Amino acid sequence: MYSEGTGGPEELNDAAEQRRGAAQRFRDTELPLVKLWTYYYGIGGDIDEVSLDAYLNEALDLPAAQVGLITTAMAEMTEGDTE
Amino acid sequence: MKDHHISPEGSRAAESLADTELTLQEMVLQSPDIRDFLVELAVLAASRLSVPGNRIHGGVTVLRHKRPEAVASSDAVAHALDEMQNGFGDGPCLTALRCKATVLVPDLTAERRWAPYVRTAAGKGVSSILAVPLDLAGEAEAVLNLYSGCSNGFSGDDIGTVEAFAHQAASSLRLVLRITQLSEARNDLAAAMQSRTVIDMAVGAIMAENRCTRDTAFAILTKASSTRNTKLRDVAASVIASISGEKQISTHFDV
Repeated sequence: MYSEGTGGPEELNDAAEQRRGAAQRFRDTELPLVKLWTYYYGIGGDIDEVSLDAYLNEALDLPAAQVGLITTAMAEMTEGDTE
Repeated sequence: MKDHHISPEGSRAAESLADTELTLQEMVLQSPDIRDFLVELAVLAASRLSVPGNRIHGGVTVLRHKRPEAVASSDAVAHALDEMQNGFGDGPCLTALRCKATVLVPDLTAERRWAPYVRTAAGKGVSSILAVPLDLAGEAEAVLNLYSGCSNGFSGDDIGTVEAFAHQAASSLRLVLRITQLSEARNDLAAAMQSRTVIDMAVGAIMAENRCTRDTAFAILTKASSTRNTKLRDVAASVIASISGEKQISTHFDV
């Protein structure tokens, strides 16, 4: 499941693209980092807050499973805003 | 002479400052949230300055997500005036907020700045305005707005009093903010513990049922959540309910 450096150049580009998208969404939501981290932890996330911060500043790659949980956390937290 | 003795007025002022500090401390302890604290603050400021024949209305505007919001007021008059100014997007209180400096409008009829707002406010019977920002050391931005129906409704002494008061109030407000943030973080963590228990349990169940890895189990759960447009936690709860019939999984922990 983890693709740690084994993917081809295309796969790496995808991951970078996804990371950029996540960083952009995080800036748009204006959520405090600690709130996002707590929620992400609550749905089973395993990465600490500092690493999450690094990921959202495009300075660190994370395993795909964690990326999925971060995306889910952001989506679920912003759901209430539009209701 | 007055350099050697504390004048009666000076000692009265010192007394009232000490009084204010006690009152603010009580307010910090008794206010259930920031809004309540700010209402108390607006009421206190307005009543301190009100004298027979010159009733002062007070309000507090806070910048939230870069948008000004009239969050608290001593009465409906002040609230309406604050809201109106935020509607215009400009006025003495918003200027005080942006420039972090006290703004005094002694007489609205002679004021040339913020024309649309000033005209409307004057139409509502306001003659002078005093706006004092609360310095919250970058944690938030807020301004205390005071309105009087008399022209020159605020004396030089009044301005000094309000500035001293705003300085003390800002420290108390920072304390309230800190306390609120901590208790919010605590509540968020408690909710996270509850939610994580349910999710971890469901992930374990899926792993056993499908003989798969944890990551695969998470992927199955996440996929179900997005196709059903249901929160991950609720999908996890339904997985557990379908296995054991248990509807309420709770985590107890002491903080």
